[in-house]
Amino acid sequence: MTDKQSMHIDPYEKNWIRLSIGLLVVFATAVTVAGFAFGFQVPTPEDRVDPRTVATEGPWADPGLRELVPGKKYEAYILAQTWAFLPNEITVPVGAEVTFYVTSKDVQHGFKLQDTNINMQIVPGQVSKLTVTFDEPGVHNFICTEYCGAAHAIMFGTLTVE
Amino acid sequence: MKRLLLYGFYTLMIVVVGGAFAFKVFQPVQVLPRVRLAPGFSMINENGERLTNEDLRGQFTLYSFTYTRCDDPTCLALDETMLVIQDQLAALDLGDIPVSMVTITVDPEYDTPEILLAHAESVGADPDYWQFATIADPSLLKYVVGGGFETYYEHMDDGRIRLDPAFVLVDGWGIIRGEYRYQTLSSDSDRIIRHMGVLAEEVQNSVGSASIAYEAAHYFLCYAP
Repeated sequence: MTDKQSMHIDPYEKNWIRLSIGLLVVFATAVTVAGFAFGFQVPTPEDRVDPRTVATEGPWADPGLRELVPGKKYEAYILAQTWAFLPNEITVPVGAEVTFYVTSKDVQHGFKLQDTNINMQIVPGQVSKLTVTFDEPGVHNFICTEYCGAAHAIMFGTLTVE
Repeated sequence: MKRLLLYGFYTLMIVVVGGAFAFKVFQPVQVLPRVRLAPGFSMINENGERLTNEDLRGQFTLYSFTYTRCDDPTCLALDETMLVIQDQLAALDLGDIPVSMVTITVDPEYDTPEILLAHAESVGADPDYWQFATIADPSLLKYVVGGGFETYYEHMDDGRIRLDPAFVLVDGWGIIRGEYRYQTLSSDSDRIIRHMGVLAEEVQNSVGSASIAYEAAHYFLCYAP
């Protein structure tokens, strides 16, 4: 048996192997471009908190929008629970850069702010953090994207940019 | 020969991808994130001397924010945490890197240097480590504390001040490396002391080829808990 015979790979299979390696390269390139050129953010777990006390102590005891620099920089502490976001109405001025700190006090939820690049898993005991700048006036709904029980479908809030 | 090259290439790919995966999973090197640049400021400390961010270059600086009229338990806890850290600094091995602690008042109209000095003495601040600072032009303070350190405070219409307790750790290059905004599972003082150790290790060991490992730790988000 020659060396060539022992390593025989069917031409079709060879093409599929090439294709799968090529796809990996394409995906890696897409992720790199998305991350560095388009600024897509991955919501890394920011910190861990105690879900039993998060609703009574610290910033989520008094959730809502906080103004860091008037008209420019804001942070929003949002508490997700079955089946509501606290608060469920937020108003920010045009041009505001808002950092969202979201956590859950009960089960797993989702936080998707429509027409922005914010879409996070909200896991009890973990803080999810992302930042977005609102350059245009308009209304964005934030909705729960993780099935969290009977009234999951009505779990949403509204962010108004004006 | 061509096949050998191809196998060599595949092996290299597997080593690179597997190595990166193992590095991320086992995290042999951990760092603190480079969050963003700390703000520049020019303030006045409790002795009436000028204190700027440039004076704090080359050392680790831990910032906290309070006001002396605060009778809320959260403010007392802030000073308490700073005090715990101050008392552990002497025993902490950070090589030759000095550490400063700066508490910035968010009530500059009331908190004059004299009042800050009295406050420093009453909480037991060691002037070798821990300074208190106020600002001459209060209209700039929101940009430093809110815009730069991203710590929320607001003067309410009824005269009260709303303040979210926070600590900010800044390295010797003026880059924010740690923000402590809410109670996590370990105490703030334990985390901050531990993080200062992690930061000192990076500063001391990140030379020559080892710096590649530290840069990789930044790239793969191998952050110390």
